[in-house]
Amino acid sequence: MRFNLGFSLREALKNMRLNPLMSITSVVTTFICLLVLGVGLLVSAHVEGVVSAVRQDVSVEAFFLQDASQEEMDRVRETVEGYPEVSEVTYVSGEEAVERFRQTFSERPDIVSDLGDDFLPASLQIQLEDPGAADDVARRLEGERSVVENIDYPQRTIERLDAVTSYVIWGLHGATALFLVASVLLISNTIRLSIFARRQEIEVMKLVGASDGFVRTPFLFEGLAQGLVGGGLAAAAVLWLNSLFVEWSGTALPFVPISVTAVNSLFVLGVLLLAGASIGVLGSFLSMRRFLKI
Amino acid sequence: MGEAMILFDNVTKVYGRDTVALERVDLEIEAGEFVFLVGASGSGKSTIMRLILKEVEPTAGSISVNGTKLASIPRRRVPHHRRNIGCVFQDFKLLPNKTAAENVAYAMEVTGQRRRSIRIKVPQILSLVGLAEKSEKYPHELSGGQQQRVSIARAFVSQPPILIADEPTGNLDPDTSMDIMQLLDRIHRIGTTVVVATHDRDMVNALQKRVVALEDGRVVRDKVKGAYADEV
Repeated sequence: MRFNLGFSLREALKNMRLNPLMSITSVVTTFICLLVLGVGLLVSAHVEGVVSAVRQDVSVEAFFLQDASQEEMDRVRETVEGYPEVSEVTYVSGEEAVERFRQTFSERPDIVSDLGDDFLPASLQIQLEDPGAADDVARRLEGERSVVENIDYPQRTIERLDAVTSYVIWGLHGATALFLVASVLLISNTIRLSIFARRQEIEVMKLVGASDGFVRTPFLFEGLAQGLVGGGLAAAAVLWLNSLFVEWSGTALPFVPISVTAVNSLFVLGVLLLAGASIGVLGSFLSMRRFLKI
Repeated sequence: MGEAMILFDNVTKVYGRDTVALERVDLEIEAGEFVFLVGASGSGKSTIMRLILKEVEPTAGSISVNGTKLASIPRRRVPHHRRNIGCVFQDFKLLPNKTAAENVAYAMEVTGQRRRSIRIKVPQILSLVGLAEKSEKYPHELSGGQQQRVSIARAFVSQPPILIADEPTGNLDPDTSMDIMQLLDRIHRIGTTVVVATHDRDMVNALQKRVVALEDGRVVRDKVKGAYADEV
């Protein structure tokens, strides 16, 4: 039998027009499921965005002992400037560090007021040619322990961050996978209800000699359309939430490098549309099986 | 003697574990025959219909329809098999969200017929059953008799060699029932093999056709020109 695409499409459209409530239920279910999926995407994109922003900005900080003399500090500075991996070295005196601290917390005088002028150590801020060399530079600085009290560099932060974010991201992916399975089940159940309401219709179709494919195709198109609408709405909602979040984080979390570009709108749209379409079609297919056994 | 259109050879059907619906039934219906299957509810009439459609499989014995053994038809070819058989039901089984014309057209669309020939044939068959003016009505806007005419039109529009009707007049008043039976008889006279399951005594007596009587899943009587029951 030739495949009658036009007929299937017309049937699907007609069914949706005649059962708007069922279509709305399916669309809303898909929308909610994919919204959660999309928010998961959003969170992992931002976590990864922050991690990579931190990674980009690799510098090593060496804090001097409080009682280190200016000569000693100048000597270390010159030594460090001689390292091949180092592109730039900036000396920050204790007073400058305190000044920066005061500026940062200028809105919180209660924190700053009780502090003296010399509670922060002087330090070297060392910019690197290659972020990967942070370890080597830190190891060399170990040789200056007589005046250098503490060596801090983002490699450590990154390692800690990586440990945390890998858990977070794996958790998110796991939750997303579970959620997808739940979505398919939930949606196939919703679709099953709508098909159940029309089981007599399917029975008649089968009895007048319609093949399984002939009966099924309009339902698959229906599932596809509902999945795409649900996915599209979810993508719109997710992107809107993202812009709200980025705007909010700009004022509320000024130190966290959150960027709009961390989330690729086309990717989100694509993923959610694809997920919606697959969920809709798969859900329809699964729930049809039972009713076709006539 | 013509060739057998429907052949039941020693057919037994047991539902579940021990509900015997048919027991060792032999039945031969020739091409172009008109046969009444009569008997009380649960005597096995509907089971015979469902077996012919390959809606259920026999527990034992073999069935041939139109020269083909049903056991040899794979599941995916069942729709093709059903296109040889027009079906009429007691409850009409029309699609509620389609008009009379659309219901008839659906049976043709299912078999992949061209839209052109659908547009031509649907009005023809609807006027044949006397519903030319009602073609745009939905089933709930039609009377029971009219709905049954639509379902007969649907069953017959592709001119299948066999037409089976399960209690076609079960929901209709006597006058309407007679119209429906005469319609079935007309289809029979065109050359279609017609099998009607019924317990409508008056109808069977009026038409004087072959009568196969069933009781508890067995054929208890088979008369060529019979009445519903033997006159005492």
